[in-house]
Amino acid sequence: LGIHFDHIWQKTLTVLNPMKPADGSIMNETDLTGPILFCVALGATLLLAGKVQFGYVYGLSAIGCLVIHALLNLMSSSGVSYGCVASVLGYCLLPMVILSGCAMFFSLQGTFGIVSSLVIIGWCSLSASKIFISALDMEGQQLLVAYPCALLYGLFALLTIF
Amino acid sequence: MHPAGLAAAAGTPRLPSKRRIPVSQPGMADPHQLFDDTSSAQSRGYGAQRAPGDLSYPAASATPQAAFLADPVSNMAMAYGSSLAAQGKELVDKNIDRFIPVTKLKYYFAVDTMYVGRKLGLLFFPYLHQDWEVQYQQDTPVAPRFDVNAPDLYIPAMAFITYVLVAGLALGTQDRFSPDLLGLQASSALAWLTLEVLAILLSLYLVTVNTDLTTIDLVAFLGYKYVGMIGGVLMGLLFGKIGYYLVLGWCCVSIFVFMIRTLRLKILAEAAAEGVPVREARNQLRMYLTMAVAAAQPLLMYWLTFHLVR
Repeated sequence: LGIHFDHIWQKTLTVLNPMKPADGSIMNETDLTGPILFCVALGATLLLAGKVQFGYVYGLSAIGCLVIHALLNLMSSSGVSYGCVASVLGYCLLPMVILSGCAMFFSLQGTFGIVSSLVIIGWCSLSASKIFISALDMEGQQLLVAYPCALLYGLFALLTIF
Repeated sequence: MHPAGLAAAAGTPRLPSKRRIPVSQPGMADPHQLFDDTSSAQSRGYGAQRAPGDLSYPAASATPQAAFLADPVSNMAMAYGSSLAAQGKELVDKNIDRFIPVTKLKYYFAVDTMYVGRKLGLLFFPYLHQDWEVQYQQDTPVAPRFDVNAPDLYIPAMAFITYVLVAGLALGTQDRFSPDLLGLQASSALAWLTLEVLAILLSLYLVTVNTDLTTIDLVAFLGYKYVGMIGGVLMGLLFGKIGYYLVLGWCCVSIFVFMIRTLRLKILAEAAAEGVPVREARNQLRMYLTMAVAAAQPLLMYWLTFHLVR
């Protein structure tokens, strides 16, 4: 099937630790297995929390991937393929799955919920921008890449909270 | 996701291939010619071969020839799928290049964090900045990374998207939110931007000004006001109308000064560069044009945000 579980695990570990600098070669093969798994997990946790919003999740991820793909192609010196962008963004959706898992147990609309979603959004976008920077060799642009990713994950968080 | 989806569809048996038979029929009269077509490995004949191969699959265990066919057919499926994906990508790339000048746009996105920070500071406080001239390097302007005066498209694009999202947030707090309203807001802001660009291009043409102000430069300059609009709306959400008016007023004045100082160099530079014999009326007309463009910015900033803050 071509699914290498150790690669998936390695990429997941990279996402889970946003402070450690990433290896540039991990994105050489683009696999969509992990991202699709995380998307389905997000939809499942949203369902368990009582919100049937699969359409919004998939639509938002497709449009967001497209926009970030266009932006990264314009900003980096070497181009990037759509599959690579989709793969990275899907992997960095993992903390969002954790957030929506928490939403099952307690409502996120209080202060604690808002603060924790801001932290999770920051975590997701920092990991995504870290992987993009190391894979595409862009210097001095991490915050610039993190900002659109933060907007995208912010929309996901809005879906989770409301 | 489109090419991946197509490749997946090509890999699944029966249903897509049954629909494909009528399409690829012209070359293939007899679907039973599948043995000959396997060796030529043409993608045209793929559809006609695939269906008989699948229809005979239940009998594959009985006939060794059909079993042998299963492997090349699935290989051909993958080859077809990947070639279709590659063709699709080529088509998209070719057409994108016709409509959007990608290499020219890349210049406007060659930014880094320092530049963005300094430019945002300049947009909110342009009063102390002395030198507004863009540096040139062998006839081409340097990338925005190296000169804070150069226009870029990253800030306007991000500011526009953030403005649409903040507008959605503001409408949400007033309980007037729905996803189509977001789309409406986005398209109306885009329409105003297009109108502005066209109006300024028309007036530049009528005044017969020779400037090196390209359309993309103009879009970049006109997109800077969205930063002030976002600031105003956010302050309005946090502190009510007073905060909104204060911040919006400050941003309006800043954008006015910023536009005047930037456009003066672009529109009036030719006049100054021509030397002494400058026709007074023409120079005045250019000055009025610059003032009009700069004055339109605060007006639009107020027009596009006042309904968001109650």
